Amino acid sequence: MATTAAPQSSAEARPLARKKFQPAEVAFEWALRLSIALALGALVWLFVSVLTEGASSLSWDFLTSKASSSAARAGFKNALYGSLVLMMITVAVAVPLGFAAATYLEKFAPMSKDELRVIAMRRQRALEHRRGHGLSGIRLLLARIGVAASRVWATIGPPINRIVEVNISNLAAVPSIIYGLLGLALFVSIMGVSKSLLAGGLTLAILVLPIIIIASREAIRAVPSSIEQGAMALGATKWQAVRSQVLPAALPGMLTGTILATSRAIGETAPLIVVGGAAYSTKVPSLNPLQAGDQPLLAMPLQIFDWVERPQETLWGPLAAAGILVLIGTLVVMNLIAIVLRNRFSRSW
Amino acid sequence: MSDERTAVTTDEDEALAVTDQEPRQSDPRVGDGPGISVAGPAQGSRDGAQQETVVFEASGVNVHYGTNLALKGVDIPIYRREITALIGPSGCGKSTFLRCLNRTNDLIPGAAVSGDLTFHGEDMYAPDIDAVDLRRRVGMVFQKPNPFPKSIRENLAFGMKVNGLKANDDAIERVLRRAALWDEVKDKLGDDAYALSGGQQQRLCIARAIAVEPEVILMDEPCSALDPISTLAIEDLMRELREQYTIVIVTHNMQQAARVSDRTAFFTVEQPGDGSRYGILAEHDHTEKMFRAPEDQRTQDYITGRFG
Ligand SMILES: Nc1ncnc2c1ncn2[C@@H]1O[C@H](COP(=O)(O)OP(=O)(O)OP(=O)(O)O)[C@@H](O)[C@H]1O
Ligand SMILES: [Mg+2]
Repeated sequence: MATTAAPQSSAEARPLARKKFQPAEVAFEWALRLSIALALGALVWLFVSVLTEGASSLSWDFLTSKASSSAARAGFKNALYGSLVLMMITVAVAVPLGFAAATYLEKFAPMSKDELRVIAMRRQRALEHRRGHGLSGIRLLLARIGVAASRVWATIGPPINRIVEVNISNLAAVPSIIYGLLGLALFVSIMGVSKSLLAGGLTLAILVLPIIIIASREAIRAVPSSIEQGAMALGATKWQAVRSQVLPAALPGMLTGTILATSRAIGETAPLIVVGGAAYSTKVPSLNPLQAGDQPLLAMPLQIFDWVERPQETLWGPLAAAGILVLIGTLVVMNLIAIVLRNRFSRSW
Repeated sequence: MSDERTAVTTDEDEALAVTDQEPRQSDPRVGDGPGISVAGPAQGSRDGAQQETVVFEASGVNVHYGTNLALKGVDIPIYRREITALIGPSGCGKSTFLRCLNRTNDLIPGAAVSGDLTFHGEDMYAPDIDAVDLRRRVGMVFQKPNPFPKSIRENLAFGMKVNGLKANDDAIERVLRRAALWDEVKDKLGDDAYALSGGQQQRLCIARAIAVEPEVILMDEPCSALDPISTLAIEDLMRELREQYTIVIVTHNMQQAARVSDRTAFFTVEQPGDGSRYGILAEHDHTEKMFRAPEDQRTQDYITGRFG
């Protein structure tokens, strides 16, 4: 084969093109690298400075000692326990509400007036049928109320759903201090909860609720509609299809979203201060969330904030830095769990 | 034969039972027209004169997706314990029509069905009809395999449970055998269904559909992802199921339509010239007649592979 003389007529014989230097492309690539380096650099610098300051104070003693007015003896135990209880309350309240709301908004709220009317009619017929079989008294009354409610919902439901829909995403963007004010007004003033871990946990729960709802909705939406249709083509009701097929498939994604939302709540300071976070208390909170109603509102970020604010910086600074390291460590672990969950259970449909 | 259909459509009685006056041709014949041999149904165990009951009766069925008309004016009866094949070019609305028959179109946002469609003489789309009960009686295998993201066993058990059937090992083995899948999966019933090949997934979906014992089974190109051996196994299954069930199958495979179906409906696309395009039912008749001597030129062209 002659490689030198390439005949013009045959496309196959044309030599392969050589690489060309393209300055714009190279410059762009380096600009991208630079911006990543800047962002990461700031983080690394922050981490290194915290590490150099706090590493000496970070010890098992630090984690297990109670708060104290003497810097030499002060530890992180109160704050650590407080944050743990806060997370338990937040998850216990926000997860069921968030998952239920996401399921409703994604799968049931889009029903039109006509579909809702059909459901109301079906209930009406079921009622007539059961009356023919001797339904009476209080049960009949309840069934009547049920039918009337589904009739009313067929009219007012869709517009209400639309309002909720629009506002969920707005809620996620509200600054966290506003949630603190809401928590103070709702739980402390109106419901009479004392300024305790309970009030703080409930406040953090409403803070993360919109984030959990949005993340869960995305996870539910990622399950192809053919799965639900397949279930319904077998004679499953909408609820059966959603509960037994769609939700289990969406669960890993929902959990990932929940962990990320919770890890945001763990670092929140402002709303806790507003709700009445204790800057300092020697009482170690009980780990039983049922007793949270009369435990002082302590948390890792509050404790760090308190230490940073103290005048003798050389004494308290290393403690604050050690606290920050613990907080960062917790966040990293939570994010790792989320990543593992996503990689382990994600599937391509 | 067209008289016979008219007789059916005008019959408004509850029973909608009509006697097929004309005995069925019993021997396979090589068509003098398009040249596809029609063998299957006539070899079945049917006697010539038998009761023919209409299961579905469509008249003037239109389907819109949003504002787009996808299917226009479909009139067709579908008979009990027969295999009806829906054929036609891609995008002519075969899947759309199939989905009307068990109201899975209801699950597609924006899809709207109009016209009259009855199931055993009852208006399927009457506002108080419970579509869930209808779907229990009219099962479906989708065009793309859609197993649940669970184990093989759970895929079968789910439908059985929601229908109040027992999902024991015997029942599971039985349906897997019927769907020609048992030998391949008997040792891994606990494995994720998505670990199966595409063709195996589709057979699992077929197994899942027959496991709930519907009256009618709708199949949307059930064999498009299958090798010839599994295809033949599925065709055998269809012939066997026909003894008890009514089957409607969409297929792009002319030989398959000719081999297994009793009747064939040919859908095509109409473009009136004003920019719109929608599917229509061009012709439907006994399969043997459709392949030997179709009345419509478009059917003739499609079956012989000449597109106009
Ligand atoms: N979910 C949908 N939303 C909007 N339009 C749709 C939808 N499904 C189908 N259509 C439209 O309806 C028409 C008929 O589609 P359909 O899927 O019924 O065709 P088909 O005959 O089954 O084609 P194929 O042989 O390729 O499966 C097409 O023009 C398609 O674009
Ligand atoms: Mg199709």
